[in-house]
Amino acid sequence: MDEILGEFIAETLETLETLSGEVVAWEADPTDKSRLDAFFRFFHTVKGSCGFLNLPRFERLAHGAEDVLAAVRRGERLADPATVTAVLAVMDRIGALARGLGGEPVPDEADDDALLDALSLSSGGFELFEPLAPAAPVAAQPDPQTVVVPVEEKTAQPVESRPSTAPAAPPREKAPRTIRLPLALIDQLMNGISDMVLARNDLARRMRDQGVAPDLESSFERMSANVADLRDMISKTRMQRVDRLYAAVPRMVRDLTRELGKKVTLDLDGGDVEMDREMIEMVVDPLTHIVRNAIDHGIERPADRVAAGKPEVGRLAIVARQSGNQIVIEVADDGGGIDRTALVDRAMSAGLLTAVDAMGMSDAEKLNLIFHPGLSTAAQVTSISGRGVGMDVVRANIEQIGGVIDLATVPGQGTVITMRVPLTLTIIPGLIVRCGGQIFAMPRGNVIELIHENSAMVSIEDVAGGRIATIRGERHPVVALEDILGLPRHADHAGPRTLMVIRPSAGQNYVLGVESVDSNEELVIRPASPIIASAGAFAGMTLPDNGQPMLLLDATGLVQIAQLPVVEADKTRRDARSARPEEVIETLQVLLYRDRDGVERLMPLPIVDRVEDLESTQITHSQGRAFARIEDRLLPALNVCEGEAGSLKAMRLYDGRDQLTFLIDDVLDILEIPARLDVPIGKGRIAGLVMVGERQMELVDPFTLFEEVAARPGHHGAGTQPVRCMIADVDDPWMRNILAPLLLQAGYDVSLGMSGDALPDVVLCGSGQNVDIDGVPVLALREQPELSGDPEAPPSIYRYDRDRLMAAISSFARRAA
Amino acid sequence: MTDTLFLFASIAGTPIAVRACAIEAVVRLSEVVPVPLTPVHVRGLAALRSRVLTVIDLEARIFGAAQPAPLAPLAIVADIAGHSYGFLIDTVKDICHEPGGVQPVRGRLDRAWQPFVSGLVDHDGRSHLLLTLADFTGAPASALAA
Repeated sequence: MDEILGEFIAETLETLETLSGEVVAWEADPTDKSRLDAFFRFFHTVKGSCGFLNLPRFERLAHGAEDVLAAVRRGERLADPATVTAVLAVMDRIGALARGLGGEPVPDEADDDALLDALSLSSGGFELFEPLAPAAPVAAQPDPQTVVVPVEEKTAQPVESRPSTAPAAPPREKAPRTIRLPLALIDQLMNGISDMVLARNDLARRMRDQGVAPDLESSFERMSANVADLRDMISKTRMQRVDRLYAAVPRMVRDLTRELGKKVTLDLDGGDVEMDREMIEMVVDPLTHIVRNAIDHGIERPADRVAAGKPEVGRLAIVARQSGNQIVIEVADDGGGIDRTALVDRAMSAGLLTAVDAMGMSDAEKLNLIFHPGLSTAAQVTSISGRGVGMDVVRANIEQIGGVIDLATVPGQGTVITMRVPLTLTIIPGLIVRCGGQIFAMPRGNVIELIHENSAMVSIEDVAGGRIATIRGERHPVVALEDILGLPRHADHAGPRTLMVIRPSAGQNYVLGVESVDSNEELVIRPASPIIASAGAFAGMTLPDNGQPMLLLDATGLVQIAQLPVVEADKTRRDARSARPEEVIETLQVLLYRDRDGVERLMPLPIVDRVEDLESTQITHSQGRAFARIEDRLLPALNVCEGEAGSLKAMRLYDGRDQLTFLIDDVLDILEIPARLDVPIGKGRIAGLVMVGERQMELVDPFTLFEEVAARPGHHGAGTQPVRCMIADVDDPWMRNILAPLLLQAGYDVSLGMSGDALPDVVLCGSGQNVDIDGVPVLALREQPELSGDPEAPPSIYRYDRDRLMAAISSFARRAA
Repeated sequence: MTDTLFLFASIAGTPIAVRACAIEAVVRLSEVVPVPLTPVHVRGLAALRSRVLTVIDLEARIFGAAQPAPLAPLAIVADIAGHSYGFLIDTVKDICHEPGGVQPVRGRLDRAWQPFVSGLVDHDGRSHLLLTLADFTGAPASALAA
């Protein structure tokens, strides 16, 4: 929204600047109709934008001036010098206010009345000021009278809920001053800096070859760093806030709900996340489609919702966040969810599946049918959606830009659709592969793993001309890149070839054989010219830093050229252990982070609740254990060093019940790895090793982390009620003075005698006592270490046997939980 | 057709002309990286500063067969439909105004040239075949594709 406001300020000032010349001319010849129109348009535009941006002061001024000009236009009023002066004064004031939004001092609001008075005075009467018909609404301006759902109104004008942008707000940050530039200029700038980088690299190469004096080298290093910074800065000019993507959503939701008679509140979050401008364009359509689907098919009619025991008003939430070099956009509704049975029925009636196929399908596979062309669960085709262009198109669009779409749904509770798209279209991580004497790039996102041909993990068999690789029990077709591209095998290549397990965006995985995989680079991708694109094997081209052009391989296109049988995942028969459908090959999302010892490790993403910044003062040490104070709670902290200082970064881990804080150096990326470890270790905090690209990395075992915390004495879970212990014999000094403090320190609630009406979880008493409180378990403590000889005596624990005592209490605690 | 500035060059010994407004520069290309799976006239990719040119061999496109390329071939650089191309030529003669403009083709041309020649431009006492570079960026008709 700040961006829209900024644009408004820029536009207003810009128009004022161009109008300033006209002002003088108008004064000279007040009868000039064309100039009058220009001014009228200006006030009209300002008024329209103000209504939308909630700037009442602007609106009032513009409205007054517009009325006067309208009267002049109708010939009801003369553009006498007094009128002109008054109108110009209003213009100046609008300019001052606009600059005021940018942080300059603003004239007093009371002065506005004087200006407006001046406008009406010069008219010589008030009868001219019949209120005009409301101005033609600006496209995105909601009409408060006609909004069906009041809550939605709030989101339609998010500016209202964000005091920082309201003019009457407390001292706000100075809005950044902006200018507008043609896109072409920015592209030129980008090209210029790319040239510079190449020239720098060339120079660096020459300097290396010839050897130069150290002082020359150091000044070159400095320039080199500057160039790199400059490149980063210029790439930022391509970024835009996701707000832009959101701009059309409130209006669309409002129109749809009205048309369908549904009630929906809309939550938009993460509008300040930035992504590549082109990427935003590419995501608009899929997002629109998903939102339409959510309202049309997802969220039920108010009556149905009430019948299902849900609030009448449905909820649609769109959240954007950056995660590594991806943008994650999540669309969640609390509607009816996706009916898997209906999907399967549809697929069967469309002849895509047989009943036998359907029987053997997993839940995820059934759900994935929604991405199949021509399937829709909509009972009838409405004007909103269900016209055959469905989720398959959405998925294709997202995958086209290197993204992934995921779907999770709970019948009766709602659906969450997650789109993950790369931060920019133009820079992707790629693996540089060598083949047939040439080099090519393969998008890293398509590569599941790399493996040497002679590795023990793979066996390759030739079957009637086809080659099949078996890797850990899974079979994949094998093709050599040279064969696909019609290149000669390089005879002089020594050493084993590398096999890449490739996941194309459609169809089954396959193994691509190449001479070698050289490196892993961030590549600036440009589209290939049509004649190269028509070859079908290339997704684009790139110019790496060595200045030699390189082609980016298209993982899906290669399959088609190789004429591998395209086994659609959802049609695969599941009995064969070969051809396992894509969905079943389990992958695990992991967070790549740098540990505090500088080593990069992997943490399973699902358990990472959030990544947060902490101050060292939030960390407390006690008895060799560390805790982090977060939001007035103490969470167990792991990985804490002695003498923390400054600000720290931590991952909040959540096992569904307990939370703990795990301190790290930094978060680097989100990756997907095969769920099966390459080398299980299972010792200490490391679960094992996983191949990521060409590195093997340690995967942290979250079990051990929570185990460590759980093993801390007195730990009973952050999210649960402390165990209530009751001491039966209030007068026993040992119980009161020794045991009670011990239990308290261990984190239990202790009550002496019965207090309140809450039943305790466990009752503690001396071994000689008989206590019975509504069946609450009783723990008897005896004074002698050895058991009494009396076989009739109830079981008891020696009161200085701390371990058994604590174990017994926590076992009751678990029972109580 | 008031534009009378032309580049005069030659391909396979044949004099040609290209409208100067359509071209950006004439350069010597350094290394050309071949592109597999493309028709014979797509020589490959070449870097021109930070741009990547798709290098088109005009002669190969016209006659359907490629001659071995010289070491540092001469190329006309042009942007067509948002992509940068380099069109290989043998020699460059001149860039100059030819007030006579474009004349219709007289006489029957070689069948191979026919689809590409839209007129003749007189320069230095010789007729030059006027070519439109954009005609060369597409895939050849099926007869040549094989």
